[in-house]
Amino acid sequence: MRGLRAKGLLTKSISIRPSPPRIPLKIPGSPLFRIPLLVALALSVAFGVGIVASVSALKATVGFGAIALGPWVAFPEAQTENTDPYAKAHRARAGKLLYGGAEGLEFTAAKDTAGARLTSLCSYDITGLTPPARFWTLRAAGADGQPIGAGPELPDAFNAWTVLREADSSFVIHVSPRAKPGNWLAIRPEGAFKLVLTLLDTPTAGSSGLIDLAMPRIVRTGCGNA
Amino acid sequence: MRSVIYAVLLGLVGAALLHIVIILALPQFTGKDAYSRVLGLYEMDSFFPLSSQPGPTGLANEDPFLRVAVCGFSVTASPMRFVARGDVPFWSLSVFDANSNEVFSMNDHTAVNGNLDLVAATPLQLIDLRKTPPESLAQSILVEMPQEEGYAVLRALAPMDSFEETVRNFLAGAVCEPFSR
Repeated sequence: MRGLRAKGLLTKSISIRPSPPRIPLKIPGSPLFRIPLLVALALSVAFGVGIVASVSALKATVGFGAIALGPWVAFPEAQTENTDPYAKAHRARAGKLLYGGAEGLEFTAAKDTAGARLTSLCSYDITGLTPPARFWTLRAAGADGQPIGAGPELPDAFNAWTVLREADSSFVIHVSPRAKPGNWLAIRPEGAFKLVLTLLDTPTAGSSGLIDLAMPRIVRTGCGNA
Repeated sequence: MRSVIYAVLLGLVGAALLHIVIILALPQFTGKDAYSRVLGLYEMDSFFPLSSQPGPTGLANEDPFLRVAVCGFSVTASPMRFVARGDVPFWSLSVFDANSNEVFSMNDHTAVNGNLDLVAATPLQLIDLRKTPPESLAQSILVEMPQEEGYAVLRALAPMDSFEETVRNFLAGAVCEPFSR
């Protein structure tokens, strides 16, 4: 009897005791913590992916509307009102003085004709002719577009007047960190670089594709000390 | 687990929206666009020749054979007139508005007698100029500005070092000033 009562009392006392607060202890199953966690996840994905995608899109390209002639790429509409939002955002971030339609067109090449990235550890030959233009200039630039500056005493740029030509008025320019005979465009052995060919007063920008535009070829001739 | 996938999908939709907002809004608040850099030179109403090394605003002659001068201007009070004369192998001028959109561009072959003589004005000022054309603007090209503020870029070609002085004189003599009758 006594033992039973004691048992009954015991059970009563247990049932009276308030149940322990379960919410802070069990995090995974609790809606109170799961929902803020999911909101935080969604927000971090939104901001992280959104910002990274925007920055990388602006770094990767100047925008749509490129004309590509072999490895040479130009954006004839990038400075106009009609260009796409990517080009407008890119030019607002780069802050460059772009060429107007009647001024010229700037072609850049970051790859050679075979499709391999240009690196200043290798030597390249630029051969052929430019599209019709009153004048052209050719220079090497770093990945950020600034001149890589091989030094004031070295030939670091060519133009339509200073280049030495073949009998058929085509030209061969040797781009190399080591001295070459003929047209030598000196670069510093520092890694990736770009070639910038500016055509001044050219009909290329407004071309409807009726003229066969031939840009010079960029051929790798050797790497290292070879 | 399913709610985590939903959250990530929702985040991706938000990322797409944010991407669009960033790309569209960026030109308004970079502070590094070409017009802000031109204003940062503190040289309004005159052609400012750029150096080969980037100055404090980051503007420079990028092409080793082209010498560049910029002029920030406003046509709010009166039209702007651009004049340049000289015997350089090639020169070109572009007029941009404050959003860096090209308004007008020309070179020495599209100019009258190979000399630069251009007037940028608001539509109202243009009506006034055409109603009673001043004698001095008989040969000028008249250009309508879609906005009141903008900048002009004048480039001159120096294919060899011997042209350096001619080109420097050409840019130094170039005029960018408010026009008044």
